[in-house]
Amino acid sequence: MLLSLMLTAQAEGLRYAEDQAPGIVNPLFSTTMSEARVNELLFDSLYTDDPDLAAKPNLVSLSELSEDMMSLTLRLRDDIIWHDGEPLIADDVVFTIDAMRDDATMSTEAGRVKWIERAEATSAQTLVLYFVIPEPRPEEKLFFKILPKHHFDSSEVHRTHSFRTRPVGTGPYALTRYNDDNSITFEANADFRSDVSIPELVMREVTDKSYQAKLLIYESLEGLVRVLPRDLAVLQNNRKVELYPYQTNSWWYVGFNLERAPFDDVRVRRALSHYVDVEALLAPIGTGEILSGPFVKSSPFYNHDTRPYDYDEMRAAALLEEAGFTQSEGMWVRGGEPLRLTITAHQTLESAQEVVINLQSQLRGAGVEVDVEFLDEAAWKARIWRERDYELVLSQWSFDRNEDIREQLHSEGARNFGSYANPDVDGLLEEARLARDPHVKKTALRRVHRLAHEDAPMIYLWTLDSYSAISTRVSDVVIHPFYFFTWIADWRMR
Amino acid sequence: MGAFVLALAGAALLAQWLLWLAPGDPVDLLTADPELRAAMVERWSLDEPPHVRTLAFIEGALTGDLGVSLTYRPGEEVAALVWRAGVTSAPTLVLSVLLAVGAGVAFAYIGQGWTLSRRAVQALSVAPVFLLAATAVVSINEATFYAIEAGWIARPSWFALPLGDSILKSALGVTVLAIGSSALTDVHQASDDELRRIRRSGYVDAARARGAPLWPHVLWNLVPPLTTITVSRTAFFVGGLVVVEKVLQLNGAGAMLWQACRMRDYPLALGLVVGAAAVVCAARLVGDVVRIGVDPRLRA
Repeated sequence: MLLSLMLTAQAEGLRYAEDQAPGIVNPLFSTTMSEARVNELLFDSLYTDDPDLAAKPNLVSLSELSEDMMSLTLRLRDDIIWHDGEPLIADDVVFTIDAMRDDATMSTEAGRVKWIERAEATSAQTLVLYFVIPEPRPEEKLFFKILPKHHFDSSEVHRTHSFRTRPVGTGPYALTRYNDDNSITFEANADFRSDVSIPELVMREVTDKSYQAKLLIYESLEGLVRVLPRDLAVLQNNRKVELYPYQTNSWWYVGFNLERAPFDDVRVRRALSHYVDVEALLAPIGTGEILSGPFVKSSPFYNHDTRPYDYDEMRAAALLEEAGFTQSEGMWVRGGEPLRLTITAHQTLESAQEVVINLQSQLRGAGVEVDVEFLDEAAWKARIWRERDYELVLSQWSFDRNEDIREQLHSEGARNFGSYANPDVDGLLEEARLARDPHVKKTALRRVHRLAHEDAPMIYLWTLDSYSAISTRVSDVVIHPFYFFTWIADWRMR
Repeated sequence: MGAFVLALAGAALLAQWLLWLAPGDPVDLLTADPELRAAMVERWSLDEPPHVRTLAFIEGALTGDLGVSLTYRPGEEVAALVWRAGVTSAPTLVLSVLLAVGAGVAFAYIGQGWTLSRRAVQALSVAPVFLLAATAVVSINEATFYAIEAGWIARPSWFALPLGDSILKSALGVTVLAIGSSALTDVHQASDDELRRIRRSGYVDAARARGAPLWPHVLWNLVPPLTTITVSRTAFFVGGLVVVEKVLQLNGAGAMLWQACRMRDYPLALGLVVGAAAVVCAARLVGDVVRIGVDPRLRA
């Protein structure tokens, strides 16, 4: 009796799972991918990607870049309506930029507009952006979400602003309600510029990633953003689920702390790179492409002439001997001290435990003593990012369409917590940033790839093949590799 | 009352220190930018030592102001969040206590000292809460899905656990908390021992001799020891809530505390800990009142 309450529960909308519900729905303060995906549903950016991932106008009808590339005039579309019925105007864009730049806002997204010196509305639908330095392709950076000025008193916006509870955007969906079980319900925006087929979306928090696939099989969900590799086989054989592969700009790595001996010695780093059988690490957790540098293979900046470090024990041993290590009872020692290291990994990085344990086993077999530790997110960001208190880390970087690796590899990069510094790399990164010719940028970054490989500040591992799983009740599915829901308006549901 | 307030203040200070000792702070979760970090640390007074923050918390708490959430629900009043979560958790807590006590006494009364009944209850209660909850969810879901696919039943509205809210999920939470917190075992054991003692007592013999029903005498005399056991297990029930609500996705105080600690939401975590401490202290107070009310010898 208890098991069969009479009401059936065939959903009219699409229910998808997130590991963690968004902490805040306000594009000024987004920090997680679940928040980015919700923002993609609710808000629009000036430009967006077409299915070939080329930038195309979204809120913009006309644009004109000045000859000196120091300013861009934008005319907004006349048919864009906020969820509250008000029209989108140029002041909204100017306000958004000002709010992000306002120090008092403390926006976590401020970096997205630091290249813009100022924005001015010249009419109701026209504005001009003035740049700090010449920008040959500014449209590729105009992907931040636009906010409605009429919902705010000033450009100083606090995290606690009530907008987060009743967000208003121009996107294909509007937030209807926050539910008691941490789920969020969205309704299709009737005023959206194209028909939105799926009437309702529900974001459900399912913190246990390994259970998300089960819920999809049970038809309690219609979508998973990313399927765990171990669930692929089961879902592949399920006739009610379709798998959609997509390529992300994210790659795994083992990073060295170059301020800790002996990892300040490039010979030691290269030796450890040769001791790691990357293919054997990858095989148990999924499929992907082994990398030799800080870009994914499909990136135009990837240097295909640079090969990954081979698994080569003899070469590794020769390098360690050059660095002053000797073998004693199967272990590498120098000055009486064994070569010992601790690998730190993020607790929630899926499959990290498996990779770390296998890596530990490989290095131990090579005569290196290895300890492992796992940290939760706050501890990770404190120990690794802020205090730089680690020896080796296993982690991954994810990049948006711009693949800007300056933060990670420039000597002054905010996320260069390994303290990697190579003046040539700094120069090339700067050259790429200022390049007006795409070919110049490509050449510079390919050289960065080679140098970053040779210096081995990290052991570049792989980019994993990613799959999302969607119920077969949903058709015309096209997935954006970073934002996921960019083309949700085109999805159809029967 | 003084002891009550001191206990809460002590809980607040201890929680503040533990949170301070945990690596990372809420700003770490939000930004890596050093300048932005400095501004946020200053705005949220995170550079003040724990005892200073505790004093500020206590000062605010005395006027009902527990501060605002930093990362879990930015800007929302902690008092409101704690109240809402407490209201959600209260039925689970109370019902699980009643279930543990009722079932423990019933098993002891029916079992009447049989070793087998005691062992059966212990076996049931030995599994940790998270294992019981997870096993129950998986078992119920798999069985139901099988029945749906076989066409035996229509798809129930609650399917599948732990998504959504349902009576089944709530009942599961109550049952798992009652069994898994070992209270059932403790109540059963205490009831069993007390029943044997009570049944041998003179007043029960007298009632038996008069031909009067025994159960009023037996059960009334069970109240003081049961109260002692139950009150002593309150903290375990409250702690067990964290795991049960996390596994079953019951959006109560336990799950909220888990999230608050994970997200280093200091004010919210502190508010929930103080709330939990208040519940435990209140339970002890109620236990004392009940014992005094039932046993006239304690009134002297």
